[in-house]
Amino acid sequence: MTEQITFAALAIILVGSALAVVLSKNLFHAVLWLALALTGTAGVFLLLDAEFLAAVQLLLYAGGIITIVVFAIVVTERLIGERLTQTNMRIGGGALISLVLLGFIVNVLRKSPLPAARPEMSVDLTRVLGELVLTRYVLPFELLAVLMLAGMLGAIYFARPED
Amino acid sequence: MPSWLLLLLVPFVVLNVVIGMVTYVTLLERKFAARMQSRIGPYRVGPHGLLQPIADALKLMMKEDIVPDAADRTVYNLAPIVFLIPCMLIFATIPFAPGLGVGDVNIGILFFLAVSAMEIVGLFMAGWGSNNKYALLSAMRAVNQIISYDLPFIFAALIPVLLTGSLKLGDIAAAQQGSLLKWFILYPVIGQLAFVMFIVSTLAAENRVPFDILEAESELVAGFRVEYSGMKFALIQLGEYAHMIGSSFLGALLFLGAWSGPGPEYLGPLWFLLKAMFVFLLVTWIRWSFVRIRVDQILALSWKALLPATLMLLISTAVVVVWRTGGF
Repeated sequence: MTEQITFAALAIILVGSALAVVLSKNLFHAVLWLALALTGTAGVFLLLDAEFLAAVQLLLYAGGIITIVVFAIVVTERLIGERLTQTNMRIGGGALISLVLLGFIVNVLRKSPLPAARPEMSVDLTRVLGELVLTRYVLPFELLAVLMLAGMLGAIYFARPED
Repeated sequence: MPSWLLLLLVPFVVLNVVIGMVTYVTLLERKFAARMQSRIGPYRVGPHGLLQPIADALKLMMKEDIVPDAADRTVYNLAPIVFLIPCMLIFATIPFAPGLGVGDVNIGILFFLAVSAMEIVGLFMAGWGSNNKYALLSAMRAVNQIISYDLPFIFAALIPVLLTGSLKLGDIAAAQQGSLLKWFILYPVIGQLAFVMFIVSTLAAENRVPFDILEAESELVAGFRVEYSGMKFALIQLGEYAHMIGSSFLGALLFLGAWSGPGPEYLGPLWFLLKAMFVFLLVTWIRWSFVRIRVDQILALSWKALLPATLMLLISTAVVVVWRTGGF
């Protein structure tokens, strides 16, 4: 019962803040709503006993990504010299696309029946996760690292002083 | 006692103890700083100035609450609360003695790091919502600094995790019990280097001198909190000091053996508190001894020295751990 109530509360927060992200005109407010939405996602992870994912969600998304977005807003605003506002001119098209996506997800969920109860977690999930990443999934893990390295090199290339 | 009552009572007690500690830690810092500069410090209110924090709190409560005309009202008013919440949440996973704490979860240290990374949101809300150029500049510097010092801080804190093999703070503390030599700060070479790096990145995370560019009095007045007065100012100060105390407890737990010490077991929390205060005074000592360094020097120190150094140390620790457990 408590689980349902918590999930409902989290869902309201999540959907509400996600809507506020796209609907608020003030770009800075949109970022703050995004921070709330990402924190709410961490709450959902926590509800599913995925503590490690919840902590990483907070650390990387709510902490890191928000910082970088805020940084980008401030820097670009200074370059343009005026307050940035978010426009909602294509709200109809956006609503249509999200409705189609929703229908798609509902369709998929209906075709694959979900278990009624969550299987009990008997092992230390964090430890298992760490072991799997470094044994069975070591190749994708390393490939991701290479991808990040390429991204960083690209960023440094663009940021280099003009000569 | 029913378990749900205990569930409410323990966080309530911890929260209030932290708030009480914050008020008196300010006095400790002022007295300590005064002694370093051959002054007496607060002395008039109560014996040896012991009631000074109470007087300060009363004064802040009675001050007028001012909201600037041009401020973004909602963001401005919410900022101190959003800033305070993560600063208080960091105490949630710290065990003050074996089994004594709010919740010693199995990702304890990760929770601490994740929640303290959230502080930047409140800080930026304060800087932006004030609509003041000093506050905004300060918030931008904060973003710069926090991006740069988050990683060294995490890597330095991960070294005791590697040595223990657990993310649970209770396990990390338990691994250092028994003798003085088990404290991770006395682990040959790795321990001392990691402790120094931890202290340096803690200083940066707490925005203390020599890394206090975001409140640099001479250029930015008081940084992101320049427009705040009264209780909102007090909340921000409370958050900052709570974060400092939390980091001190973390440092004492990760490197100084937490509650290990001579005497019977019930003295454990006292030893832990004394060690945390030692870390706090170490940070204060640095604060009152060094000068502020420039923004570019701070960033260079992080990216060119501290980050590679902590990474190297982390890798060498991993090698040592594998070697000692007979992995090769």
